[in-house]
Amino acid sequence: MNIFEVFLKKDGKDEFRHAGSLEAADADLAMILARETYARRAEGDQVWLVDRRDLVVSDPRFVEPNTDKPHRHNDGSLVAAHRKAQRALRDASA
Amino acid sequence: MTGVDGDGATRWSASEAEHLLAFADDEHLMGQQHTEWIGTAPFLEEDLAFCSIAQDELGHAAALYELLGDVDRLAFGREAAGYRSCSLVEVPCAQWELAIARHWLYDLAEQLRWDALDTAAAPDRGDLAGVIARAQHEEEYHRIHVTTLVGTLRTAGEASCRRLDAAIVAMLPDADALWQPLDGEPELVASGFLSDDSASMQSRWRDEVDAVVGPVHWETLAAAEGTRHERTPHFGPLYDRITEVFRLDPTATW
Repeated sequence: MNIFEVFLKKDGKDEFRHAGSLEAADADLAMILARETYARRAEGDQVWLVDRRDLVVSDPRFVEPNTDKPHRHNDGSLVAAHRKAQRALRDASA
Repeated sequence: MTGVDGDGATRWSASEAEHLLAFADDEHLMGQQHTEWIGTAPFLEEDLAFCSIAQDELGHAAALYELLGDVDRLAFGREAAGYRSCSLVEVPCAQWELAIARHWLYDLAEQLRWDALDTAAAPDRGDLAGVIARAQHEEEYHRIHVTTLVGTLRTAGEASCRRLDAAIVAMLPDADALWQPLDGEPELVASGFLSDDSASMQSRWRDEVDAVVGPVHWETLAAAEGTRHERTPHFGPLYDRITEVFRLDPTATW
């Protein structure tokens, strides 16, 4: 038995999204079981299956150095505050 | 005719009603038998697949009963003698490989039966055309499911193949008896209600079975446990189980 990762896409512009995984003896059976397990309520109208053995998987430590870099998070609030202050200065001098 | 009431009695001839009733009874009991695997199938994905297929078969039964009269009364409120089911759908399949074997043998036959009924659709016959079209669409998937499963198990190794083939052979007497015709069948073929008779469908069905596990010595098969007019000993317990909730209050509206 192999593990397959199941991706579903709904009609329209939505992208394929990971729905879950399942175990199956081969790709044909996996597709049939994916239909039953993840699309039985028409959760998607297209299915992608990826054999987990075909995935390129990172080492857990590979991304770890980036967990402590808050300066790379930008919600725009600093820029917004700066622009607001600049506008106030301009209005005051007008 | 037994078990048919209301509008249904006027829309169908006695032979037509009996044919639809026998088909509905088969679908009903087949669906009920598949539900036995909910929560107990060997793995989750097949558990769900059997559950969905059971729902489809029960849906086909309900749709056919509805053409004949009151669904609940026909499904649950009849005497055992009024049923026209075949023995294949009455026997218990406690082992997984027997359930797969029955699913395969039954669904190969079911396709032929819907296709033969296709010509029966007519404006004065309610939504029979819609029922047939929906069932054929759903059955396409049932067949893909079970033929892929059977193909995989038969090529997964000698032990697996031997075990499944033994299960198929064990189910053959009851499966072959599914084709015993009802008394009114010649009339239905003559009128065009059926495009094919049971003997011809049985012959094509046997070819399909032979192509996978054959050659089967059909002429030496053991006799089935019952006929469409005679319930097997397994019907009683099955009937008690499936009518348990209905019998609590037969007049309840669900």
